[in-house]
Amino acid sequence: MEFFSSIPTHIDYVGQAKAEKLYRAIITLFSIVGFIWGYIVQQFSQSVYILGAGFILAAILTVPPWPMYRRNPLNWQNPKNTEEKPVGKKGKK
Amino acid sequence: MYSVLTRGNAILTYTLSVLACLTFLCFLSTITVDYRTTAHMNVVKVVVKNVPDYGTSRERNDLGFLTFDLKTDLSHLFNWNVKQLFLYLTAEYVTPNNELNQVVLWDKIILRGENAVLDFKNMNTKYYFWDDGNGLKGHQNVTLTLSWNIIPNAGLLPNIQAIGQHSFKFPTEYTQTRV
Repeated sequence: MEFFSSIPTHIDYVGQAKAEKLYRAIITLFSIVGFIWGYIVQQFSQSVYILGAGFILAAILTVPPWPMYRRNPLNWQNPKNTEEKPVGKKGKK
Repeated sequence: MYSVLTRGNAILTYTLSVLACLTFLCFLSTITVDYRTTAHMNVVKVVVKNVPDYGTSRERNDLGFLTFDLKTDLSHLFNWNVKQLFLYLTAEYVTPNNELNQVVLWDKIILRGENAVLDFKNMNTKYYFWDDGNGLKGHQNVTLTLSWNIIPNAGLLPNIQAIGQHSFKFPTEYTQTRV
């Protein structure tokens, strides 16, 4: 269990934007190619299979939290000493 | 997009939306196709009998028997938006009882990839040619037409009538023997 919880699963904000752009591009490209190829061979099933291949490729590239989506971590502030809270900010979150 | 499940969900929904778009584009790409084509048909043997039609009443109604030839090439109708064709052969005639009688005598399903070059000789009809009375004996103008219903992947379900028809006459005497 220690091993599994040590696997990083998050991706950062820049990585999320990158993943979204990537899957949109892959699926759109495969659909255009599939449409043209299906029209050439006059088989709509070929278009569907090509789109399915694009779906699988996009899923492999963007669903797992690959390290390339974790290159821009947020610079969190260091935790302040909680015992010396200012009085005016008490209760606010 | 922050977790594995939300990313999977986003990809799946986007793929399905794109698939719906593709299907619609496929429909649009075939909307102007002209599915009419020529068909040659001919009757070989025509007889008419007068027998009780127990399906409707005990009265004796006219029952036509015919065999026909049919020659047509439908293979060019199969584009990427046609899954199958449903062919049917209709007899159309006018009687004093009814202004329009239409009887389907024969039909056939042609799936995509099957042989669509038809050349039938002396085929029997599949369905009874009942008249609802005694309108068939000696009828001078019964018209055979071939039509087909196109079953697409997406879009309209048009009924197309073939170019070409055949008119024939029924004999003026009932046949008494078995056919």
